[in-house]
Amino acid sequence: MVFSSLPFLFFYLMAVLAVYKLSPLKIRNLILLLVSLFFYGWGEPVYIFIMLLSIAVDYTHGRLVERWRENDRLARRAVASSVICNLAILFFFKYWDFFAVNIHALTGIPLPVLGLPLPIGISFYTFQTMSYTIDVYRRDAPVQKNVVTFGAYVTLFPQLIAGPIVQYKSVAEQLEGRREDLEKFVSGIQRFTVGLAKKVLLANAIGELWDTSIAAQDLTVAGAWLGLLGFAFQLYFDFSGYSDMAIGLGRMLGFEFLENFRYPYISRSVVEFWRRWHISLTTWFREYVYFPLGGNRVSRIKWVRNILAVWLLTGIWHGAGWNFLLWGLYYALWMLAERLFLGRWLEKLPGALRHVYTMLVVLVGWALFAVEGLDQLAAFLGTLFGGGQLWAAVDGYHLRSYLPLLAILTAASTPLMKNRWDRLGERARSVLTPVLVLAALVLCTASLVDASYNPFLYFRF
Amino acid sequence: MTKTSQRVTAVLFCVFLAGFGLLHIVLPDRTFSPVENRNLRQLPAFTWSSLADGSYTAALETYLADQFPLRDGWMGLKTRYEYLLGKREFHGVYLCGDRLISRLEDDSRSEENLACVRALTGKTDIPVYLGLIPTAAEIWRDRLPEGVDSFDQAAYLKRARETGAVWTDIAGALAAHGDEAVFYRTDHHWTSLGAYYGYAALMEAMGEEPVPLGTARRVSEDFFGTLYSSSGVHWLQPDSIERYVDGAGVTVVSDGETHGLYVDSFLAEKDQYASFMGGNAPLYIMRNESAAANRKLLVVRDSYSDSLAPFLSQSFSEVHLLDLRYYRTPVAQYAEENDVDMIFVCYSVENFIKDTDAALLAQ
Repeated sequence: MVFSSLPFLFFYLMAVLAVYKLSPLKIRNLILLLVSLFFYGWGEPVYIFIMLLSIAVDYTHGRLVERWRENDRLARRAVASSVICNLAILFFFKYWDFFAVNIHALTGIPLPVLGLPLPIGISFYTFQTMSYTIDVYRRDAPVQKNVVTFGAYVTLFPQLIAGPIVQYKSVAEQLEGRREDLEKFVSGIQRFTVGLAKKVLLANAIGELWDTSIAAQDLTVAGAWLGLLGFAFQLYFDFSGYSDMAIGLGRMLGFEFLENFRYPYISRSVVEFWRRWHISLTTWFREYVYFPLGGNRVSRIKWVRNILAVWLLTGIWHGAGWNFLLWGLYYALWMLAERLFLGRWLEKLPGALRHVYTMLVVLVGWALFAVEGLDQLAAFLGTLFGGGQLWAAVDGYHLRSYLPLLAILTAASTPLMKNRWDRLGERARSVLTPVLVLAALVLCTASLVDASYNPFLYFRF
Repeated sequence: MTKTSQRVTAVLFCVFLAGFGLLHIVLPDRTFSPVENRNLRQLPAFTWSSLADGSYTAALETYLADQFPLRDGWMGLKTRYEYLLGKREFHGVYLCGDRLISRLEDDSRSEENLACVRALTGKTDIPVYLGLIPTAAEIWRDRLPEGVDSFDQAAYLKRARETGAVWTDIAGALAAHGDEAVFYRTDHHWTSLGAYYGYAALMEAMGEEPVPLGTARRVSEDFFGTLYSSSGVHWLQPDSIERYVDGAGVTVVSDGETHGLYVDSFLAEKDQYASFMGGNAPLYIMRNESAAANRKLLVVRDSYSDSLAPFLSQSFSEVHLLDLRYYRTPVAQYAEENDVDMIFVCYSVENFIKDTDAALLAQ
């Protein structure tokens, strides 16, 4: 099930909230576990077993690490075993076909291509559970002895299918007991509604622009850039909308999750962009890959290796395809360049130019991300950089059709509206909040009832 | 935020979501949507296997959307929201001022089907006429939003002249009257006026004078057509339907039943265009003893010929209207067996370029 759907909003969410709020505190984690399994099983019921397997594997490994605390060699083995199990699940479901096809192409060894549908959210929850065992070993988090509580953490439906990646240590205490009151509940409603509106009213509305561009027979240079801009907005509002909804739902249930996006499109360097985009993922890779490899406190060669490792992994995490690896490599190179020399030059430039530079890097990055198949990618990049007609009448039509929306999206990518809202007096906010929440619900319902275009973009993650 | 405001927000949120959820359960389901002109999804039957392969939940989601309380109102609201954001294309339909024009894209069968017509001319000695009706997107190209891509129907029609069939220049006739109401504003079909110009083009191709147009009789002022349904643009004025031929002495036989040239009962329904002859059917045989000439015409056709038929009835004593989608028979053979004097292959470009039954023309 996805949040931006009629069954979730009008049936699942209300039923879950009612049952959850009416049940005694003691069994709320059990309730969460059960309703989350239902949530997960909605689209692919068979894959509930992966969820249960994931819970069993990491629960056991956590206990083993704790038991072998005194014997570091054994404890390390338990951690290694947990990581291997999680990566094996991930590899089997997400990367096997990619691996098999390419090995066959390279060596001629025939490997079976399974064509299994990717279990939704598998990249998110395998990363979460992996971090748990590691944190227990590092004494960053206490071991969880209650399998129900642990199960509730693994399956927690707000962040299950599209993040953020909630590290166990950040919610360990909340799992044992969490404050729930009206204020938090209402702030959850606000956040959820903002996220829903971002996804349904903004991301879905601009999404078709990219689809039209990529399908166009004779794409022009202007059309390619316009389409790419559309994709950049769609991805940001869709993804950050999901994170907002997750954070909002978490609050309704009493949880506080960490922020996942902080206005990435206002960044003035690529390094800054990645401090603002999908923060939970970059944090994860920093804590569990980059730092253990030595981070930047190593020789320059090793540091370059570390950067490459992190970014190639980040790339392939987003999907099993060469374009995603290329996309990761692309960012590794920009990161290296900015840290080695580009950063110093940039500092001398005016802010606006640094912003333009960053946006160009990010937009071209999205081309690598969005266009699958290396031939198509080469063709698209060719068009983007001037190979083809510059402008056609149809671009004017698209620009006119999307201009008001593009203006709204641009404004909404900056903290302008948020700052404006924060400056309003308490009275104005008290009046406006219920009005805006209702208005957003009405418009989102209208869009979802006429559900001609409501994609779930993370089926590859 | 004040406590009151928090309470109001929480109550609004929950009442809105739970309220519509409950309404959805309580209100009876509809089987048909007159506004959208389609059958609505019914509650899917539960089976373990459909649950396991995910088809049950997928069907349930469609059901929930189709049967959502006040569905028509929500759809209209969404279209207005998109319109305000600058959109002019809704589900493949362009809103062009006070009218709707359907977008047309090339289809893989466009050339293949022309070859089928060519084959038909080689199969029979009966004269074959070909008339392809361009859609409003061609005749009213200048009314489309500036810069939109549209399939080049003029170029296609140029190629269509080379099939060996006698060419009927319907596009030219319509273009010459492009400033008149030759298409409906909310429906993809041509109006009776447009059909008359099509009829006149056929007569011209035959080297004859068309029967004059006559005076219009308005039979409906509240016709909302297919484009109104599919676009979701629900704020346009309805169309009117005119008739120029009164149909006296004309009989139409279909499936053993005989009725007149018009079926007025359809004027009270959503699909008022079906009041011409009675809508889609495998075969209509139309007879008019007082026609100008005593001869038999076979029309291989789509629904555009519904409103063309009244004019044909004045120039042909017997007209067979054959719809290959429902009457699957080789055309040449049918024409020989029924001893027709001429064959008129008459499709809209929109239907012709994607028609999958045109092979029956070639057999």
